[in-house]
Amino acid sequence: MANKAPSQQMSPDERRRRGRSTITWILLMLAFIGVIAAGTLILTFFGMLPTLVAYFVDNSKDKSAAFTVGSINFIGVFPYVLTLWGGLNTANEAWNMIGDVFILLVMYSAAAFGWLLHLAMPSIISSFVIVMQQRKVAQLRGEQKDLIDEWGAEVAAIVEMQKMEKQEAHMEHGFDGIEMEMLP
Amino acid sequence: MADALDQAVETVEEQMETPPPPAGEDGLSAPETSGPNAASPATEQDVETAEPTDAESAPDVDGDTVVMSPPPEPEPTPKPEPQAEPSKKNKTGIPKADLGEPQTPLDPIQFPPVTLNNRYLISPSTALPELNSPSAHAYGVEDQREPGRHLFALICKPGLPIRTTLMAELKKQGVTGMLPMIDYGPVFWAPIDQMTIALIMERPLGGRFLDAFGDRAPRINEYELSRLILEPLSHAISALASMDFAHRAIRLDNLFFMDRDRRELVVGECLTSPPGFDQPIIYEPLDRAYAMPSGRGYGFSYDDMYALGIITVFTLLGYNPVAKLSDDDLLAAKAELGSYQCMCGGERIPMTWIEPLRGLLSDEEFERWNIESLTTWMNGQKKTPIQRRPAPKPKTAFKFAGRDHVTTRSIAHAFSKNVAEAIKVIKNGKLEQWLRGSLGDTELSDTLTSVITMNKAHENTLDGSDDVFVSKVCMRLDPRAPVRYKNYSFMPDGFGTALAVEYLRKGNYQVPGEILARELLGHWCASQHHQGPDINALNKSFQTLRGFAKINEMGYGMERCMYELNRDLACQSELLRSTYVTEIEQLLPALDEVSDHVDKTFRPMDKHIAAYIATHFKYDITPHLKAVSDAKEETSLIGMVSLLALMQWRMKIKTLFGLSSWIGGLLSPAIGTYHSRTTRRKIEQEIPALVRQGSLPELFDLIDNAERRTIDAHDFEDAQIAFAHAEAEIEGIAGEGVDQKKVALQTGERVTAMIAVGLSMLATTIIIFVQTL
Repeated sequence: MANKAPSQQMSPDERRRRGRSTITWILLMLAFIGVIAAGTLILTFFGMLPTLVAYFVDNSKDKSAAFTVGSINFIGVFPYVLTLWGGLNTANEAWNMIGDVFILLVMYSAAAFGWLLHLAMPSIISSFVIVMQQRKVAQLRGEQKDLIDEWGAEVAAIVEMQKMEKQEAHMEHGFDGIEMEMLP
Repeated sequence: MADALDQAVETVEEQMETPPPPAGEDGLSAPETSGPNAASPATEQDVETAEPTDAESAPDVDGDTVVMSPPPEPEPTPKPEPQAEPSKKNKTGIPKADLGEPQTPLDPIQFPPVTLNNRYLISPSTALPELNSPSAHAYGVEDQREPGRHLFALICKPGLPIRTTLMAELKKQGVTGMLPMIDYGPVFWAPIDQMTIALIMERPLGGRFLDAFGDRAPRINEYELSRLILEPLSHAISALASMDFAHRAIRLDNLFFMDRDRRELVVGECLTSPPGFDQPIIYEPLDRAYAMPSGRGYGFSYDDMYALGIITVFTLLGYNPVAKLSDDDLLAAKAELGSYQCMCGGERIPMTWIEPLRGLLSDEEFERWNIESLTTWMNGQKKTPIQRRPAPKPKTAFKFAGRDHVTTRSIAHAFSKNVAEAIKVIKNGKLEQWLRGSLGDTELSDTLTSVITMNKAHENTLDGSDDVFVSKVCMRLDPRAPVRYKNYSFMPDGFGTALAVEYLRKGNYQVPGEILARELLGHWCASQHHQGPDINALNKSFQTLRGFAKINEMGYGMERCMYELNRDLACQSELLRSTYVTEIEQLLPALDEVSDHVDKTFRPMDKHIAAYIATHFKYDITPHLKAVSDAKEETSLIGMVSLLALMQWRMKIKTLFGLSSWIGGLLSPAIGTYHSRTTRRKIEQEIPALVRQGSLPELFDLIDNAERRTIDAHDFEDAQIAFAHAEAEIEGIAGEGVDQKKVALQTGERVTAMIAVGLSMLATTIIIFVQTL
């Protein structure tokens, strides 16, 4: 347990307190940006709404869907942000842009393309990854065989010992996960 | 003992009244001018009795020499003569050592002569049984460098430790008064199909002393006795003593005449058996006589002087005055009367001879005449007579085993012969009662009580067994007597020979091992009244031996004890049966020699070889022995090679082709200690070349090179780590519980996200660039 992450070591109260503090900081930053660049903030918020949805919909740990959708979505939003920065960067101007269906279509289409990428690309890449992994395993097994040929089976002593320990641990604590009522 | 002096005086007084014998009466009397004590009136005593004369064989007085008829010329193949039987006594009652049966005639074609040291040709077919020793057979010898020399060979009977250290000394320097030994060495003796030691001796042309008398009594008159027997024998004893040896085989049947005229008397060999081994019991001082033949010990010149005293009695009287007594009765009589009184008590001893006989036959070593005393007396000077302290006499005799005992010595001897009865007598307190009440020895009684109390503490253990208990009691009753345990009795300086004979004849060390384990030798030392440095040294050496015996490893155990105590003993390894190794320098060449004839699946190392090396090799080999004894075959093998290599290197033996080849074929397990197969193959390829060099150090360096071993171990460790890493990687990719497709999909998602991020950054850059333009 000593090597657990610091966040895991924190008590729930402390974690809650830290969460509140982070939200407070984000709100403060948004308020600050809202004062100095309200137009950009409004446009970005509404333009990037699909990304926000993707973030909440994506249950994966590394939020790859949010990254993919967000990145492509940003390509659709960024030219209009530049337009704002080049002209009047006001809330009214931002509301006008959002009211333009064409602009919304461009931004949300970019997000849709991001979703498309997220849905199509991983399976193609995973096929490549599986082939590469199989090749890697074969290569490692070959290296191990060479080691055994040169040094004898004793070279695997550490591995064998680890396996034995694992097996021993399994034999000793194998019932830990089983409901006790199932046992006679 | 008080009576001994009185009785002796009475005897002399009686003899004084007897008229002197006529000189030269039967050819045995001395001339008027002869003898060191010729002027003494006592020499006029009659010590002659009517004996049948044999003009041809009896000694004659001629001038100042005793002349006997010359024996026949030595024949190349003399007919075997009847030999003495075990403890045989002739009609004179004089005991003879057992010379065994004469050799059976052998076919010279089937048994051709063997050469010793490239010089002496020993013929198995020319037996000389008249020159046999109790432990060696005599054969004809031809000196190839000096043909015509009168020599004979003694072929030692295997199964006895022999005195090779003394042989080496005698080869360097002769001893006046002793049968000259010319050379010695190991030979393969075909009749027994074994290697043994052969001694080349100068042939005594006058034959055996006793044979000169034929059937007559071997009496020498009192005037000639000193010059004829005492002088040469005392020279021999003195010369041996100066070399720090005792002869220990001085007896009447071991005296020879070197010349045909029978003027020059010498004592025969003492080399072919342990000291005192062949001596009839009567020739041994009481302490050593109690011991079994193999345990009589190296002894001192004092013991030779005692034997000389016995010879003097026999030759003065012409017979054995105690011939009727059995060995046990003789020991009891000597114990109770004293040796002088026992031997001469009722005999007519010439007055001049009473004092030397008293001196020579004294049972106390410190009182016994030494060479100096004897020489002084022979030169005609008087010596202060020995005043015997009377032994304490008990009020009543102690009855045990059908005999009345009046001394603790005889009780101890009787106890050792009958342990079951002794236990009863000791435990019911009768012995303590007798010691205190009748003998008046409260100190001994108290000592005995403490021994009994100590034994109770060890009851029902091996240390408290009846045999051990009685043995300890015997030591207290007679501290000077041998250690006696389970019919095994030996003087502490004879423990080594007793142990060796036990092993050589029975093939085990059971009883000696028990003696060491029960610490009986330490108890013997503790029992001694005089705790001098010699006793302390003895005790310390026994403690060391006990330490060796307890370690059940190569180079230790009872084998080590045997070789430590018998430094003359040849290595008894089964592998060396066809050779004879008596020096450490001979061991490796001997192993090299036998390598062609042995089963090479066995190692050239066993408990005997290891113990022999540990005993005789002067360098510290403790770590090597530890390795040789290791349970792991490869460690033990490397230990053995390292030990033999060290020996070859230290002893500067250039080549050992046979042994190298033998060891080279055994090295597989040692090569297997390297992890790397490449290294193993390389070593295997190099072995034949090194075997051809005959160098064990090179072989050892090949299989146990420190640098190579370090590299191997280091590389092996790296290989283990690499293997474990590979395994971990494989486990991570395709291990148990890993959903490869899911992982690949997740990877795909991550890669897609990264591509998207990349695209986004690229697009953003392009947009900024376009807008800027």
